[in-house]
Amino acid sequence: MRRFQPGVASESQPGPVSGRTPRLIAIGGGKGGVGKTFVATNVAVSLARMGHRVVAMDADLDGANLHTCLGVSNPEVSLGDFVAGRLSEPEKLLIQTRESNLLLIAGTHSNLNQPQPDKARRVELLRGLRRLDADYVLIDLGAGSQPHALDYFLVADEGLLVMRPEPTSVENAYSFLRAAFYRRLRLAARGHGVHQLVDEATDQRNERGIRTPHDLMREIEALSPVEGRRLMQTMRAFRPRVIVNEARTASDIKLGFAVASVCDKFFGFKADYLGYVNYQNEARESVAARQPLCDYKADSDAAVYLERIAEKLAAVPLDRRAAR
Amino acid sequence: MIDLDELDYYETLEISRDASLEDIEKAYELLRDAYSTDSLALHSVFSEGDASVMRDRIEEAYRVLSDFELRRDYDATRRKAQGSVSSSTEELGVEGDNQMPPIGSPQPLDHEIDQPDDGRWDGSFLRRARIQAGMELEEIAEVTKVGIRSLRLIEDDAYEELPATVYVRGFVTAYVRTLGIDSDGVVASYVQRVEESRSDQGRGRFLGRR
Repeated sequence: MRRFQPGVASESQPGPVSGRTPRLIAIGGGKGGVGKTFVATNVAVSLARMGHRVVAMDADLDGANLHTCLGVSNPEVSLGDFVAGRLSEPEKLLIQTRESNLLLIAGTHSNLNQPQPDKARRVELLRGLRRLDADYVLIDLGAGSQPHALDYFLVADEGLLVMRPEPTSVENAYSFLRAAFYRRLRLAARGHGVHQLVDEATDQRNERGIRTPHDLMREIEALSPVEGRRLMQTMRAFRPRVIVNEARTASDIKLGFAVASVCDKFFGFKADYLGYVNYQNEARESVAARQPLCDYKADSDAAVYLERIAEKLAAVPLDRRAAR
Repeated sequence: MIDLDELDYYETLEISRDASLEDIEKAYELLRDAYSTDSLALHSVFSEGDASVMRDRIEEAYRVLSDFELRRDYDATRRKAQGSVSSSTEELGVEGDNQMPPIGSPQPLDHEIDQPDDGRWDGSFLRRARIQAGMELEEIAEVTKVGIRSLRLIEDDAYEELPATVYVRGFVTAYVRTLGIDSDGVVASYVQRVEESRSDQGRGRFLGRR
């Protein structure tokens, strides 16, 4: 198992020099309490134990607790220091966890009402994350569909969406995806008319009756066929991956397939079903015990499923990474 | 929502063109659950009306693709539709030494056929026209590459067992052209019968949508 030093590029594996940049994986889901942090924690630990060098970042500055789940009780530095301008290098924010291959960038822990970094700082931060000497950077987005969460989600190589089999979670997941899609489109779109269309569509009660990304793409194509085709091409990269957490029944397990189909048929973009985690008391207990489930109860089904999700993530072929 | 009329049966079931029967069964079961009335995944996006249309589409796609003959006919019709664009006669299944007139160029009739007085063609008039043209169903099947079972369903006016209207139109067009009948009025009146029958069954919404 390779070890790597916080903030120092290891000499045997100089990340940026070898042309390898870490793969960014954002974990969101719209709704609070669906298990984003739980999934992020365990996937990070699983990837680390598979021998990958992993950095887990807590972008949930309002409800930061990734550090707690990873057993770091009182982080000395955090993303808050970056936001406040006290530290400008992401390397300086890294904290060693109990796991040798896993480093943490904690969310804030002391500064109440911590604002998110502004857009320029966020771009700087993301650039810094890409330079980290690591294989994977996992970003725990926290709840909600605020611009910062959407931006991390869109910029990441993989956007993971955690949901629970309940109507509220499904609804918020869809709102999140819709918002993310429109934001990506807004960034890629050229021309005043197209921008205006996207802005209109963002208001769900718009007069044009644009209810879904698909409706919007159609309107754009009608306005400008060339731009429509170009954006269609761009938006193919928008391919969220769904995780169902706390599945109890067979139909809970199938929810991921159904959601992927709805994305295809209703919204007009593809989504993949990455996997599910079954409901287990030990999962809740592990959070209370401030341990990853794979430590708390390594042989539990949920731990096995989480490991499987990590394996699937790691199995994405290299050429797909290069293409992004 | 995306325009369901633009989806072919494979896209409807989210499977590839070379999907095995097992793939089809699996996809069908998942989608049937996904769009069932109590499906959680529909929450806040699909109205019950849209979901019901979707269910009809899934059933229809499954019914055709899970049946060997219907699927073969369906694939042939699709190839034909694409082939006519590239004017490939090979795709149409018309060989150079074939005695039959190529589809798409109806020959003038050299024999009398009975026509319905009201101009509304049904299966039995088609059958009569075929017999008067001196053709067996097997010959029509061979030329048109439409399965004999589908042809029989057409002659039997078994509208409910036939695939979606757009394919019926393709089948009947191929059928009557092979007989050398001027196809437009015949096909239109037959398709109209199919549509009327289906809307009587309360399925008009999904056939004549948009």
